[in-house]
Amino acid sequence: MSKSTSKEEFIAHELKSNFGDVISELKVTGPRRVYVTVPPESLRDILLFLKNMFNARHIVTITGIDMMKSFELIYHIAVPGEHIRSILVNVKTHIPRDNPTMPSVVDILPGATLYEREVHDLLGIVFEGHPNLERLILPDDWPEDEFPLRKDWKPKEV
Amino acid sequence: MMSIYRIPVGPQHPAIKEGFQWNFKLDGEVIVDVTPRLGFVHRGIEKGMELRSWVQGIYLAERICGICNTPHTTCYCLAVEQLYDVEVPKRAQYLRIIINELNRIHSHLLWIGVLGMEIGFMTYFMYVWRDRERVMDIVELITGNRVTMSMNMIGGVVYDITPPMEGIIRRGLDYLEERTKYYKEVLLNEPTIRARTENVGVLSKSDAIDLCAVGPTLRGSDVKSDARFDEPYSSYDEISFNLVTYPYCDVYARALVRADETLESIQIIRECLDKMPSGPIKVRLKRTPPPGEAVARVEAPRGELLHYVKSDGKEKPYRVKMRTPTLANIPATCEMLKGYYIADIPAIIASIDPCYCCTERMLFIDINSGKSWVWTDSELRRYSLKYYRERRK
Amino acid sequence: MVSIIGWSRIRSPWILYMGTGHCNACDIEVLAVLAPRFDVERFGILLKGSPRHADVLVVTGAVSRQTAPRLKRIYEQMPNPKFVIAVGTCACSGGVYWGCYNVLGGIDKVIPVDVYIPGCPVRPEAVIQGVAKLLAKLQGGGKK
Repeated sequence: MSKSTSKEEFIAHELKSNFGDVISELKVTGPRRVYVTVPPESLRDILLFLKNMFNARHIVTITGIDMMKSFELIYHIAVPGEHIRSILVNVKTHIPRDNPTMPSVVDILPGATLYEREVHDLLGIVFEGHPNLERLILPDDWPEDEFPLRKDWKPKEV
Repeated sequence: MMSIYRIPVGPQHPAIKEGFQWNFKLDGEVIVDVTPRLGFVHRGIEKGMELRSWVQGIYLAERICGICNTPHTTCYCLAVEQLYDVEVPKRAQYLRIIINELNRIHSHLLWIGVLGMEIGFMTYFMYVWRDRERVMDIVELITGNRVTMSMNMIGGVVYDITPPMEGIIRRGLDYLEERTKYYKEVLLNEPTIRARTENVGVLSKSDAIDLCAVGPTLRGSDVKSDARFDEPYSSYDEISFNLVTYPYCDVYARALVRADETLESIQIIRECLDKMPSGPIKVRLKRTPPPGEAVARVEAPRGELLHYVKSDGKEKPYRVKMRTPTLANIPATCEMLKGYYIADIPAIIASIDPCYCCTERMLFIDINSGKSWVWTDSELRRYSLKYYRERRK
Repeated sequence: MVSIIGWSRIRSPWILYMGTGHCNACDIEVLAVLAPRFDVERFGILLKGSPRHADVLVVTGAVSRQTAPRLKRIYEQMPNPKFVIAVGTCACSGGVYWGCYNVLGGIDKVIPVDVYIPGCPVRPEAVIQGVAKLLAKLQGGGKK
């Protein structure tokens, strides 16, 4: 065990101190990697906290995963460490598959705008409050209710 | 005789997004607002990865973008190797640095030539692309391929650099260094280039950070961020090189960043050859990684690249997510276009290096008259060249 | 090489290039063919901007759902006689993108192809050889 706490451990400690009652999982898996799981209603608070406390302004991307029982969303946030985007804090949350909505974070991290649109396009998750949640990458004539990254979606014969 | 080139409708390269349409709102000649519409050549790669074994995934990842193929395979392999909780042998790490830097040199030279093409400087394009062939010769010497290196494997690399190759590589690097310095001189001194790129497409430092720009686009706005420093992967922290930034925040700055990065890359390769550790170039791993998740970032020529992988212990990945640098730069690009003229569009869009021509069609809407029209990128380029030619009279 | 010069005296093919659902590697090799090392312009091969001026359509990439109608339209706009070269394994057969939704396969699913040049990506020498084979076909009175 090192004498001084690493920045990753410090971030984890601060998250625990401030959000301990809502965090369901928190781990430092290696250098520059923190994973924290929170309920969807706490997500915006966590991102605001990372921004205000640690000056985290870079969102690398949002990963959406169909876990069958729910959708998992991972917000990969780069937090300053030795350099300004050194540490990846991966903030995870789960939303119900039959009601996939999530508040948008574009007002906190403007760089998230296209990532939310992408997740919306491919998984059908609705980000409430997003300024324009239009199609991003699927073609214009793609059917409205087909979401290719869902596990139960099968490509149709053309 | 001037040839008119129709620039290929290019895929962007984000794994699953290719080809753009940019929609411009204009007030006369001035751009007021920009909205992007992607997806003309969406292929469905992320889903495709779920149908393939982990190793087959390397070959699909490699073809997300043919130009940045090496960072993609490096990033993917780094992420999967985290699932195995294994670090590849040192020699493999140094070899990975070398091929990634060769890829950066290749990509940046390609871009510098394309910048010339975008502003009508065809001679520059031809010279640069002739010299770019030297990089491909080096790559072919090591891997047998000119473009798509296919060097990475989960657990290491598949080709080695032998002593006879080293001499050839070093001579090639000397040549490239001399030529790159010359091309940089042209950038610094040629009035046409400077007129078309200075104070054009300005992206302020705070916008670059808030809009999460990456790569030379970010570093041309004076932000010290590069995944090779933020997240030193594959032993980059053992090599001494500079993080290149320029404070001008315009297209010119981004060009200079790329020129300097090319020179830095040449130095990095030399240092790797000097310090090359001996030993194996790969480690054998079981066919299927244990369950878990991992995320890796590398600095592709265009910027920060991320791969996320999730394994449920099966032969095929449960999820692979890839975020490519150009997607990250789009919000910043929309911002840097505002307030400039239609004729500036080719240079500004080129400055984020979207695989030399990402746009297929551009929709223009004049907010005063309500008139709208669609141009192809070659129509736009012709307009732009004519506009600046008239202005010089 | 000498025979190409001979053929191009008879006919200097004008080429329209199109990419459909590809990764760019074949594109830049096609562009490299025009650059100084390989330089096919000296054979009179010119890249043109409009289908109406082109003799030969050079296509890279596997055909995707969105680009299929556009590819067909461009082909139809070309005047006869017209020829198609599929450049790269993806254009020949769909290549590495098997199983990706949105990719239909090789371009011969949409338009007839005269010359297939495999490779991932193609080598510039293979592109030149493919074009030479096509010129032979043209000279032999290949018709469309």
